Amino acid sequence: MPELTRRSFIKSALTGSAAISLSGCTLLPRKAGNQSPQQYTGAIGLQDNRFAVSAIAPDGKMLWQSPVGSRCHSGCNRPNTAQVVFFERRPGWAFYVFNSESGDRLHRIEAAKGEHFVGHGVFSPDGRYLYAPVNRYEPGEGIIAVYDSHQHYRRVDTFELNGIGPHQITMHPDGQTLVVGLGGILTHPDYDRIKLNLPTMKPALLMMDRLSGDILARFQPSHHQLSTRHVDVAQDGTVYAAYQYQGPAHELPPLVARYRNGRYEEIDFGAATHRELGNYIASIVAHPENDLVAIASPIGGTALIFNSRSGKVIEKAAIPDCAGVEALAGGDFLVSSGRGKLVRMGKGKPAEEIASMPVQWDHHLV
Amino acid sequence: MTRLALTFLLASSVAVSPLAAATANNADSQTIEYRKQWHSDVLTGYQNLATQGQALSSQAASYCQAPSPEGLEQTKQAWLEAFLAWQQVRFVDFGPVEQGNRAWQFQFWPDPKNLVARKASYLLKDEAPITPEKVSESGVAVQGFPMAEYLLYDQAFANGEEALPAGRSCKLLLAVTRHIADNGQSLANDWQGFQSNYLGSDQYTDTTIRSAMAGLEILEERRLATPMGLRGNGKRSVYSADAWRSEASLAAMGASVQGLKQSFLPAFSKLLTDRKQPDLAEQIAQQFDEVLANFPELDRPMAPLLADDNGYKLLQSLYIDITQLTSLVNDRAAVELGVVRGFNSSDGD
Repeated sequence: MPELTRRSFIKSALTGSAAISLSGCTLLPRKAGNQSPQQYTGAIGLQDNRFAVSAIAPDGKMLWQSPVGSRCHSGCNRPNTAQVVFFERRPGWAFYVFNSESGDRLHRIEAAKGEHFVGHGVFSPDGRYLYAPVNRYEPGEGIIAVYDSHQHYRRVDTFELNGIGPHQITMHPDGQTLVVGLGGILTHPDYDRIKLNLPTMKPALLMMDRLSGDILARFQPSHHQLSTRHVDVAQDGTVYAAYQYQGPAHELPPLVARYRNGRYEEIDFGAATHRELGNYIASIVAHPENDLVAIASPIGGTALIFNSRSGKVIEKAAIPDCAGVEALAGGDFLVSSGRGKLVRMGKGKPAEEIASMPVQWDHHLV
Repeated sequence: MTRLALTFLLASSVAVSPLAAATANNADSQTIEYRKQWHSDVLTGYQNLATQGQALSSQAASYCQAPSPEGLEQTKQAWLEAFLAWQQVRFVDFGPVEQGNRAWQFQFWPDPKNLVARKASYLLKDEAPITPEKVSESGVAVQGFPMAEYLLYDQAFANGEEALPAGRSCKLLLAVTRHIADNGQSLANDWQGFQSNYLGSDQYTDTTIRSAMAGLEILEERRLATPMGLRGNGKRSVYSADAWRSEASLAAMGASVQGLKQSFLPAFSKLLTDRKQPDLAEQIAQQFDEVLANFPELDRPMAPLLADDNGYKLLQSLYIDITQLTSLVNDRAAVELGVVRGFNSSDGD
């Protein structure tokens, strides 16, 4: 190794220890909803290009940190069990199943030949089946791969999406409908992350029956380059989609859409806000306890909360590299960033940094 | 919950009164001056790329018409000059160079699976005629400098039956260099057409600074630290560098730094000075010169330097100079200006 430069010294100083400093409070807020465990699990980046999945407890203690072979993106808790699943990032060649209390790795399941994961997945409400969006990269087809946790995560089914580039998947509160963001972008692992079909993208928000795999609805955004990447569903069944615009930066199209009462509508926050979002949304979360929705943009370094009925922005904060959003008990949101920050945001109060850790949180906390 | 049974609906739009639309639309009159300068400086770089690309294409045509060892050398030289012209503007990762993956068309890299060689072999063995259309539809690994470099420099290829000036190989060289020339020309034209959007949109100031930051980071981490064995598996390997076939990896780094100095630094220095950071602007300008002082001594093949500990010291010295430049721009200036590249913002999903 050559002499340590100032920069690499600072880098290692920043990433070297695992201490967490909680600023201004001794407990992290509780998550909303009581199905998921009261801890935050996320994919993290460490120094020297090493990666892990890590969980922290509400008291800010790091519960565990489990090394993984390559950078992970997001995951999901398995209902009624102490298991959490995390997926490698595009191209994701595997997903990991951890004991969510100890961090012990229970399984590493590789993608089938010719397929890779895209960083997301969701369980059936009974916790048995894992639904994972997958890219079948030679033909360039998006599918949902179904794994049975009762059979050591054996692959048991495949649902066609008739489209390219699925990304986030979530479960509708009806327990039967899968909601899928179809980004529309064709990639191939041989070509790094080159977007191969920008002129002919066909992004969509999809609803799928989780048992039959039938596509129940397909909504297309107002521009073919509005990559429909992230999705969430409110308790009342309103579905939200968040876009990442692939066109030039000076164009400022809508970035969020809502489906309810039989209508798919895009919400326009106005040019100034779209500019602050950098035409890019990394997460969207509808709060289960109220009518608020939060989004975060690492490109714009902006997180905001809007009212789901009026579409009006009610709070906004500048948080560099913010990407992850969690709903908290009591009605607030928790935003995480690639700089190790956890920031609490809520209606009618200033955004508050509640923790700073020497890790880089990848996009999503679960 | 009623089950859904809808399909293929197009979005309608609900307009919501924006919070701060009033402040948005008029471009910042101060930063427009920097963008004017950047636009002009990048245009100069793009025009040079167009000119060198055209020269490469013409030289390849002359060579294939009347092949000779001298002609081959001249074609290699023309390739190198055009490639270095590309290196000078390679940091620009927004605007017209994004259209149709043009940046990737110019230089498909990294190529860990050696797609360039595989595609060449496939195209040369295929029966179908090699035409500009064929090149256009064959993907980015076929369309740019690495493919032309393979045909001109690859040692195994040069010793094989299909070596230049064999008919199909010449046809491929002609089509690829034509593609490079056309891309260079349209890029320069489109950059001119992009002027009003670029000047009129304030966010392109940050975008431009971020592109230089990304260019420096790629230079430090992927183009230099990785082949030096400072990243990844810790093994020194010239094959992790770009342009190893032509042994131009280091010269290309010099050209990229030179390009940043010519096309990025002038407006950037002015911006820093206007933001009350004249000392930092001066330090950055000096550090550019520190890096460039490694050249032309380092305009030479990288592989022997990786193999020899004394030679390796030259690379270490370049590495340290580049890290310090990256640190000044990506850490210090970025913090002063509030421009950030992050773990998530620079690797989208």
